[in-house]
Amino acid sequence: MKYISPIAGAVALLIPGLEAHAEMPILTLSSAQHSTEITLTRDALKALPQHRLRTSTTVTDGRPVFEGFLMRDLLETHGLVGETVIARALNDYQIEIPLTDFEEFDVIGALYMDGEALSPRDKGPIWIVYPREDHRELQDIRYDTRWVWQLVSLHVE
Amino acid sequence: MIRGGHQHGFRGWARYAPFVPILLLFLGSLTFALTKSSQLERDMRIAVTQNMLWVVTQTQREILELTLAASLIEQDAALITQRFDLTLSRLNLLLQGPQARYLEDLGHLDEVRAIAAALIALDPVENADHEGLHAALSALGQELNPRINRIANEVMMADWAKAAARLDDYRATQRLIILAVALAMLAALAISWLLLRNQRQLHHAELEQLRAANLLEQERDISAMYRDFAAIVSHQIRTPLSLIDSAMHRLSRKGAAVTAQDVQERRLIVGDAVGRLTRLVDTVLLLAKLDNAQLQARFVPLAMGDLVQGIVAEARLRHPGRVLQVSCAEGPLLARGDAHLIGHVIDNLLSNALKYSPADSPVELRVFPQGQSLCCAVTDRGAGIPESDRPHLFDRYFRGNAPEAGDGTGLGLALARELAEFQSGRIILESWQGKGSVFTLWLPAARAERTLADTRDSAGPQERLHG
Repeated sequence: MKYISPIAGAVALLIPGLEAHAEMPILTLSSAQHSTEITLTRDALKALPQHRLRTSTTVTDGRPVFEGFLMRDLLETHGLVGETVIARALNDYQIEIPLTDFEEFDVIGALYMDGEALSPRDKGPIWIVYPREDHRELQDIRYDTRWVWQLVSLHVE
Repeated sequence: MIRGGHQHGFRGWARYAPFVPILLLFLGSLTFALTKSSQLERDMRIAVTQNMLWVVTQTQREILELTLAASLIEQDAALITQRFDLTLSRLNLLLQGPQARYLEDLGHLDEVRAIAAALIALDPVENADHEGLHAALSALGQELNPRINRIANEVMMADWAKAAARLDDYRATQRLIILAVALAMLAALAISWLLLRNQRQLHHAELEQLRAANLLEQERDISAMYRDFAAIVSHQIRTPLSLIDSAMHRLSRKGAAVTAQDVQERRLIVGDAVGRLTRLVDTVLLLAKLDNAQLQARFVPLAMGDLVQGIVAEARLRHPGRVLQVSCAEGPLLARGDAHLIGHVIDNLLSNALKYSPADSPVELRVFPQGQSLCCAVTDRGAGIPESDRPHLFDRYFRGNAPEAGDGTGLGLALARELAEFQSGRIILESWQGKGSVFTLWLPAARAERTLADTRDSAGPQERLHG
């Protein structure tokens, strides 16, 4: 598997003001079927149909409103098909997510929380958010671990 | 009846009264157990999502990574900034929601806040002097590492203490649940037992009611039957009584002129009337005993030849003008039955044959064995019995249309058949219009070793049948 260095994702953070440097890539897509990688900028991700979701989380108080793209839209747009996706975070946290999750639930890659862009100093720039309040079965530790924050790459297998 | 039904209904409700507390006990314990176990499940779910030790050690790891990046001889500003961001994101996580509350309980929230503040003061994005900043970051990292390590240590201790306390709680809850379920099971057992008992009682009561209803029905049938019975029998008693009365009247009118012949004639009339009355009373008594299942009989092997000769001899006395022929087959001719009852049946068949045939015609009586049975056939040369009468001939109170039938009770043949059946026998009728009829009594044949004479003399085993 090919991953770009996490540093590449972090380059964008060198200079304050995320919105101003939206042309820097923040997410890398790869697939077991293709040798090429796709790097996506914040603008590219914002160009996808945006979706809003209000939900509680296991690590914050209240019910923030998240805004971002649907995970299935992202994979579909780039023609990525398979069984599972390996999501990887800035700190090398890694977890395998079955693609059926994205089909069954409106799982989003959140770029905003309560109207503010997610910061890499918190859980940004991308946080995988499940609609855990709409489906009781999602209120489970096995799903909680799939809420990857500081997401930098997705590898479909 | 209505009052009774009402009382029954009330008793029915009262019967369910013991269920109420037991049902409450059952439902109560079950609800308690369910509530407790769902509480337990929820508690375990919350417990498993708390992952504080991991969060703290990850923070420690990021601090170490930052320290390392800042201490490198070949400095990489981008790497340091990334490490700075990651460390800050971990500290931010610790200062949010449930994590912050946990640290507050532990008394370390302020310290983590201070650590975050110290770090933010060295923000690489805000500081231009990279070299000095990196040295400061390295020094801060080395200072923070043992402090965050101590927090991790205490978090672990607190986690273990909580886990142990929670396990104690689980154990206590589990014990309560087991107790509640056991109680519920006991209650369920009690309910099943009560239900079973009530059902049995109810069934019993229903049977009693049914039996009572049956008895009432039987009682009604019997009383209706005896009304008919009394009407016919009283008429039958009146006829011989009036015969006796008129005979006596004539004698008294003649006064001193009464001759010996007059007396003899009247004596015969009176004797006949008395005989008819006696037989009527006999018939009525036997029927009553049959109906009330009080007929007692002594079933023994009987020499039918002797029995028939005796009956015929008596009949000849009653009917001096008639020809009665008897023929018996060879052999012992033993039948099993009660001498008195068989005598009654044959006498009845014989009287019937004499009554329904011309005075100058003979009546024949034949005794012969047939397979496992012994038969006694009475043949007359009367008019025969019409086809339409035959199916009802043996019914009680049935009287045919023949002129001779007028003064009958309609009980004789019915009793004859009932007595035959009572002795495991039967009566078969054959009749030819204008030629005559044959009534045959079939009885079970008896073996030769014992006869009536034997049983009379010996104290051997006797069969006594009640009903």
